[in-house]
Amino acid sequence: MITVKQLAKRFRVENPKKLTAQEKADPRLKGPFFYSVEDVSFHCEKGQVLGLLGPNGAGKTTTLRVLSSALKADKGEIAINGHNVADSPAIARKSIGFLSGNTGLYGRLTGRENISYFARLHGMSAKETEHRVQELSDMLDMDAWLDRRSEHYSSGMKQKTAIARAVVHSPSVVVLDEPTTGLDIMATQTVMDFIRHLKAQNTPVIFSTHHLDEVAELCDQVTVINLGRTQYMNDIAQFRGAGQSMNSAFMNILRGEG
Amino acid sequence: MWLVVQKELKELLRDRKTLFFMIALPMLVFPAMFGAIGYFTSKALDDAQNKVLKFAVLGGQHHPELVQQISDDASFELVSLAEPTDFKQQIRDKQLDFVIELDANAAGAVLDVGQSTVTLYLNDAGLNMVETRIKEYVATLNENKRQQAFETLSVPESKQLALLKPVVLEKDNIAEARENWGEKIGGLIPYMLFILCLQGAMVPASDLAAGEKERGTLETLLLVPLDRTQLVLGKFVVVLIAAIVAALVTIFSMGFWGLMIGQGMAITFIQDMMTQIAVIDYILMFVMLVPVASIFAAILLSLSIYARSYKEAQSYMSSLILMVILPIVVAMAPGITLEGIWAWVPLTNVALAIKELIKGTMDYFALMGILTSTLVIAGGLLAFCVYWFKQEKVLFR
Repeated sequence: MITVKQLAKRFRVENPKKLTAQEKADPRLKGPFFYSVEDVSFHCEKGQVLGLLGPNGAGKTTTLRVLSSALKADKGEIAINGHNVADSPAIARKSIGFLSGNTGLYGRLTGRENISYFARLHGMSAKETEHRVQELSDMLDMDAWLDRRSEHYSSGMKQKTAIARAVVHSPSVVVLDEPTTGLDIMATQTVMDFIRHLKAQNTPVIFSTHHLDEVAELCDQVTVINLGRTQYMNDIAQFRGAGQSMNSAFMNILRGEG
Repeated sequence: MWLVVQKELKELLRDRKTLFFMIALPMLVFPAMFGAIGYFTSKALDDAQNKVLKFAVLGGQHHPELVQQISDDASFELVSLAEPTDFKQQIRDKQLDFVIELDANAAGAVLDVGQSTVTLYLNDAGLNMVETRIKEYVATLNENKRQQAFETLSVPESKQLALLKPVVLEKDNIAEARENWGEKIGGLIPYMLFILCLQGAMVPASDLAAGEKERGTLETLLLVPLDRTQLVLGKFVVVLIAAIVAALVTIFSMGFWGLMIGQGMAITFIQDMMTQIAVIDYILMFVMLVPVASIFAAILLSLSIYARSYKEAQSYMSSLILMVILPIVVAMAPGITLEGIWAWVPLTNVALAIKELIKGTMDYFALMGILTSTLVIAGGLLAFCVYWFKQEKVLFR
């Protein structure tokens, strides 16, 4: 279970003089700081998939980076299974599995070595690691090529390896930042199947994307972020409304008509 | 931290580019350098010694026997000069190797005509043995004239030497041969050591931070429950190992190839030089290199952490090479010794200390001071590197 309350994250503007007129007019620019995230809240229960939507630069990636403790929040609260991320980032990191569309692999390592390295960094023993990697390999059908160097993998193989790496430590929450961006149809399908699998296992998933068809297919909850603030939060049925297409519903919310 | 070290080393050893800069390049530089210097120097000297020199004589009528003696030597070829002629231009145009001009007193007895002058015109800019070879004839001429004078004056043989040189200045150079050649070439060794050390660390440093950012693996790595200090220290250790391995291979290569080529090509100078440096001095050179390698590793890793891509990191690092060369070149300048302010200038002091170790004149107590100050700088830079790695604005630029 994940709860995010009134999250804010700001960055100091390095060269204020170089800002364009449009950037200067952005309401998130306050003095020497730019608020990438100003007031974001959402909640995701066990077994739910929450779609995080928003235009480019809305603050989705920053929100997910703070959620996964890569960045520190300036304000607000994040709780994962009752643990406050700011107070115990190590526990939060153990609880989260993170994957994005542009997550890379160590090309000179094999897929097995890539996954095992992260398992060991998560504190798993050599034996546990071996067992878990084999389990994931069977589940994602990776056995035939897992011991080849990952620099020779296809995009589908790479994405399967990245998925296995993200969940090797059996996280209780999975965060996906545009996981299908730049992927071909087969690799996208692998990710979609993976999300379905997590949902079946009752694992909460936070899922940011620009593909509304994926949201329609997988998500239970939708949160729309715009200009660093939560602009909409409801279940998928309410989001769609009566007879609306996903695109129309999304655009209406951005225009403030939703 | 050791998991990071282990993994990074595994990746490093699978990277051909890194292996080349870390091991192959230092192994190849010294045979190439010693071999090329030895081969070309001995070949040039040999050529200069055996070359048939074309020469002309002005005032040959003043000592036809001398002209005949030189002409009879198969390694000289007499060329007649057309009158009038610009013989200096002919020398510049390489039509002639030299011209000698004999004055009217050339053949006369020294007691009758006094001193005589033989003028040698040559282009002395390049390597040549003209003066050496012609000096032999002038020396014989001198000897003959002296003997003739002594006989005329009836000077006994026992007094002849004293008459020629009533007072002799005897020079006793207490500097050992090692100190002499150490002074001449000792500055070059740290120059190569530092540059190779830096080269060896550059590729892994670029890969371990900027490369991770570019590949998209750094963000994933930041999400593991490992303190960022441990993560960056793990990376630092690997860059340091790469720099030290490059330095070790460099020192080993220098010693090994110096001896091999010295023996193989009978270049006793190189052989003598290498064998005279004590094992302890080689060890101390390595010990001095460790903090230098740490300085390089910390700076390179900090630059790499700041860079958005591998290419950006490499461009920052290219500028660093110039900054490293400057203090080493200062150490190579004549008159700069390990005294006063120079004992406190980072890198320059280590370069000077290595030079002193090669010369065999190092004050080991002073070495401790240099080692300590360099370690303090390395520690400060490492602390900065760790701080830098924890900065969100740097990691997520």
